[in-house]
Amino acid sequence: MSAITELRSMKRKRGTPATKTSTNLRRSDGKAAAVFLAPWFLGLVTVTLFPLVASLYLSFTKYDLLSSPQWVGFQNFVDLFHDERIWQSLKVTMLYVVTSVPLQLGVALLVAVLLNQGMKGLAFYRSVIYLPSLMGGSVAIAILWREIFGEEGLLNKFLALFGIHGTGWVSNPDTALWTIVLLHVWTFGSPMIIFLAGLRQIPDMYYEASQLDGASRWRQFRSITLPLLSPIIFFNLVMQVITAFQAFTQAYVVSGGTGGPSDSTLFYTLYLYQEGFSNLHMGYASAMAWVLVLIILALTGLNFWLSKFWVFYGD
Amino acid sequence: MSISTSRRARSVGLLTVLALAATGLAGCAATHDNGSSGGGGGDKVTIKFAWWGSDSRVESTQKIIDAFEASHSNIHVEPVSMTWDDYFEKLNVMAAGDDMPDVVTQDDRYLTEYASRGLLADLASTDVDTSKIDQSVLDVGTIDGKLYGIASGINVHAVVADPEAFKAADVAMPDDTTWTWDDYSRIAAEVTKKSGGKVYGVQNYSFIEPVLEVYARQHGEEMFTPDGKIGVSQDTVASWFQRSVDQIKSKAEPSASKATEVQGAGVDGSLPATGKGAMAWFWSNQLSALEKDSGHSLTLLRAPGDHDFSRTGEYIRAAMYYSVSAKSKHPKEAAELVDFMLNSQEAGDINLTDRGLPSNLDVRTAILPKLGDADKTSAKFIEDLTNDKVVVDSKPVPPKGSGEVSDITGRINSDVIFGKKSPQDAAKAWIDQVNKAIGQ
Repeated sequence: MSAITELRSMKRKRGTPATKTSTNLRRSDGKAAAVFLAPWFLGLVTVTLFPLVASLYLSFTKYDLLSSPQWVGFQNFVDLFHDERIWQSLKVTMLYVVTSVPLQLGVALLVAVLLNQGMKGLAFYRSVIYLPSLMGGSVAIAILWREIFGEEGLLNKFLALFGIHGTGWVSNPDTALWTIVLLHVWTFGSPMIIFLAGLRQIPDMYYEASQLDGASRWRQFRSITLPLLSPIIFFNLVMQVITAFQAFTQAYVVSGGTGGPSDSTLFYTLYLYQEGFSNLHMGYASAMAWVLVLIILALTGLNFWLSKFWVFYGD
Repeated sequence: MSISTSRRARSVGLLTVLALAATGLAGCAATHDNGSSGGGGGDKVTIKFAWWGSDSRVESTQKIIDAFEASHSNIHVEPVSMTWDDYFEKLNVMAAGDDMPDVVTQDDRYLTEYASRGLLADLASTDVDTSKIDQSVLDVGTIDGKLYGIASGINVHAVVADPEAFKAADVAMPDDTTWTWDDYSRIAAEVTKKSGGKVYGVQNYSFIEPVLEVYARQHGEEMFTPDGKIGVSQDTVASWFQRSVDQIKSKAEPSASKATEVQGAGVDGSLPATGKGAMAWFWSNQLSALEKDSGHSLTLLRAPGDHDFSRTGEYIRAAMYYSVSAKSKHPKEAAELVDFMLNSQEAGDINLTDRGLPSNLDVRTAILPKLGDADKTSAKFIEDLTNDKVVVDSKPVPPKGSGEVSDITGRINSDVIFGKKSPQDAAKAWIDQVNKAIGQ
């Protein structure tokens, strides 16, 4: 019996007595739960649900923040299709998602596998490697990034040692986006921690058995680790795709809020922010936000559908 | 028994939660009411004053507020200081939430935006004394006959030049009463060449629109006409962008990526501030900040002229405006603060030229001897422009939506300097996008 099925049966056993509890007690538990939930629920309604509904309404209006919104029907959504910068921002965002997410997950998995070899001082290395994840989203790091990849930045000073004259990586439209991708990949700590936890769940006996059969390390990784880890990979993939779509801070700071040079780092969210708060097109920005929700929803749906073909749940 | 206790305990819990929630709400209400009730002392009123600026301005403005409160004991001023970069983003949100500060500093680009939406009060109908301010300066804050903003001080856009950079490159300083745009490009290229590339001739000028404004006026056009339409022709815009392309090619100015970086580094990272360039365009009141950065004295040059030098296109601009919210609950007190900022010698002595050369002529005369060298230079520069009749007229107040012009210009300029758009295509895109922004 594998550890997982064992755990499942344990859960089932522990679950049985609960059904016998008196209904009386349960009902009062419900009330207590409601009371404890109340603060959270209040927060949900006032700071999440209400703005959500309001933005849905605003997406059908012309709203400049300063005067009251006017109903324009689907005009904003029609305008979206004719807006060159929307397409540019979608292109930038898509490029960012399809490059940074696989790269980041790849690095995270690789490091997790290496850390899982039972080395000494694991906790220390784990913390050190996790550190960039804590800082990566911060403004300070984004500013540091601008310094490293600037015309006279660290990278170019290093390249100069080899006689290579580098460009201003952040200020060149051909390279600016890649510096932000790199920044994202560098913050691989949180998927790495999740991978590490997943790896530790895989029972040793599989590896032992396959070793007796003469399987190579690579073969073990492909036939044992990957399939058993696939639910975790899937989880990380879904989460990281969603996060990547919402990337904002790095692009905002690295480009100084412009999405430049030449709109090469104009992330969808950055454009949304510019439209809403600088250009006073809040109705349009709300429409953009809802389109983003639909895009993320569709891609997540696609991800779930595709998962049928590669995620292995061991059932 | 035990059940009833636990029930009581539960209702106590519920009440606590409700009480907490209620105090939370009350807290919100209290901060909201703050404007009308004020803090503590009897009939003392609180007004909010919002401005943008650097740390030094935060300090000096606080001093002015202290002086104001000392002489107006019934008024408490709550400072709302922001940086320029997010000033209007935040002010927009405050205005949307009906929470606009009573007194705000306004900028050219947004004055019409706010005025046309009924957010600003007509200052002519308040007690603010405007008798010491030149009519032409009052005109730049007047829209449809209503005075929505009074210029704190005035500014001109001009070329900041570094005499030491010229000297090091062994290039003679241009005579700014006769030089033309071709001289400007030639001299800039010469500086780069003769300094062996250590110092650039000039910093790229086309990331923002003020030089285009001057350039358009030299061609007998205005960026925006008085009735709020684009007045500058596509050819003018194209030739303006063309100069940037040419100057990058001739190395008169840095490469596109270097230029982007320098632009992003603001005043402190600009070429003259870092000793890496002989010339750059700035507002005249930025001279002292630039001098402080560079560590030696800089000077101002007039805009180069067209071939016949008939018109330099220079214009006087409000460094910023003081405006009062139309929805202020204390319009009288708000007006008193504006009056103090504009007309009191006390405020003038603290401000000096930080908010432009003071528009109150008495205050201006009185502060002149107190100025540092850089400020004296810029004050004299403006005086000379007026005396030599270089500035002949003021430019119309830009229309609603013109706040976007800076961003549009910067974006299209990137396309131009990185060779993604020809100057002609760029000019067409510029006209199209600006038209869209101002709703034409």
